[in-house]
Amino acid sequence: MLPWDSVHIPDGFLSTPVWLALDVTGLPAVGLLARRARRELEEARAPLLGVMGAFVFAAQMINFPVAAGTSAHLVGGALLAITLGPAAASVVMTAILAVQAFVFQDGGILALGANVFNMGIAGVLAAWLPYRLWGAGRHRRTAIFAAGALSVIVSALLAVSELLASGVPVRPAALAFLLVVFAVSAAVEGVITVAVVRGIERLSPRIVRHATPERSWGLAVCGAGAVLLAAVGGLVASTNPDGLQWLGGQLDILGRITNLFAAPLAEYRARWLGSPWISKAAAGTAGALLVGLICVALGRAATRPRSA
Amino acid sequence: MHHVVLERWSRGESFLHARDARVKVLVLLVYLVALATTTPMTATAGACYAALVAAAIVAARLPLAGLALRAATVLPFAGTFALFSVLAGDEARALSLVSKSYLSAAAVLTLAGTTPLPKLVRGLESLGVPRFLTLVIQFLYRYLFVISEQAQHMRMAALARGGGSLRLAHAAGAAATLFGRSYARAEGIHGAMLARGFEGRMELLAEARLGPADVLFLLGGAGLATVLRLAMGTLA
Repeated sequence: MLPWDSVHIPDGFLSTPVWLALDVTGLPAVGLLARRARRELEEARAPLLGVMGAFVFAAQMINFPVAAGTSAHLVGGALLAITLGPAAASVVMTAILAVQAFVFQDGGILALGANVFNMGIAGVLAAWLPYRLWGAGRHRRTAIFAAGALSVIVSALLAVSELLASGVPVRPAALAFLLVVFAVSAAVEGVITVAVVRGIERLSPRIVRHATPERSWGLAVCGAGAVLLAAVGGLVASTNPDGLQWLGGQLDILGRITNLFAAPLAEYRARWLGSPWISKAAAGTAGALLVGLICVALGRAATRPRSA
Repeated sequence: MHHVVLERWSRGESFLHARDARVKVLVLLVYLVALATTTPMTATAGACYAALVAAAIVAARLPLAGLALRAATVLPFAGTFALFSVLAGDEARALSLVSKSYLSAAAVLTLAGTTPLPKLVRGLESLGVPRFLTLVIQFLYRYLFVISEQAQHMRMAALARGGGSLRLAHAAGAAATLFGRSYARAEGIHGAMLARGFEGRMELLAEARLGPADVLFLLGGAGLATVLRLAMGTLA
């Protein structure tokens, strides 16, 4: 078995600004996605999503052979996005993460917002974009492979970036080791997703949502940008010996941006945000909100009901 | 399977089992926040926080050793990053990572071991979690067993037919079959539930009501964790 194909951050790993910001933004975002998913799926809504979540758990019992006698299993974020659509996939992933946190001690409760953001929102979006853009054309198999691989690598990079930003010391050698593991896991997930989607298309073709034939370059650029941002964020954080300090600098910039928006509240700021801890948390929340808004806008563009 | 034991624990009887789910969730959150914000994590602090969880486990009449063993599921992950921290020359951080994640897991287990999942989910719902999400969680948990059993049957069938080591295409076929069957089952479930008057809400036999003991437990539990946190130094 491969060591990890998904990083479930436990409690006690993230610094307070990081988990607080991701809880405050990630969890309400899922509330919005839940409303969208309810509108999109007409039939068998909650039972379908719940049973598909149970399927993802059960599918982990199926061993997929990888080279040299090792085996891996399906992570499932990309498969869910392709079959149910991104909003519903996010809801299913959130339900899975909640059950894993409460029942299986896989991932923390305070860190639930972070895990939901990494796997349930960013991972699903990273899977949906290539599928939506190229899933209908000649490059369908490549698009599905990219969906599986990107969902794993984007969530893993985000998780590592959050750990580094929280000051968990990871030496470059250890980081290189992790990146290799994630790259292998991502490639394996891509191959498995392609094989399983092909199987589903053969057995029950009506289930797989067909991506629209028309391509939108704006989306492609935004998607590529988001993926790059995640990757670069991780690498920048890694090359810096002290992730916390690096994040501090970023938060300072974000804090200044928030000040621009919060000018009427300027005189209260000194009193309310006097403690560096609170202003850090506030700046972090503002930054995450910004990212969240971009995600929502992207998601809205990507999930617009198709005319076909 | 893992959650069979937890399910049995959660149906027990004790002062903690009888408390309202909302109150238990709130006390857990206060405890987790107190633990997460304690820096540096000293041995004294660790012992105090551990004593608090241990007291809750004993009060709930849960097996202390069994629960301690179960909470160890976080150790492979925590241990890896603790090793990275030691390699980077930060032993204090390594200890803090392991102790905080382990104690957090034990605390969450104490909640899950004293609260049946339907009650826990209903509690989360009345604390503001959207009902659609709590419904999905309930269906997921309800069919976790059923679908897993089906996967096991399929595996057995493959073994009986000489499919000990599957090729990728075979494994994918098995996953696709399981997917199709789960999908069809979900539609059947939904139809059957609609026929029985399902209106988008799981009914409990009795609605939870906050009693004086619940309020007392909330004040006591949250108060203890807060006092412990304040005794361990001010906010960093």
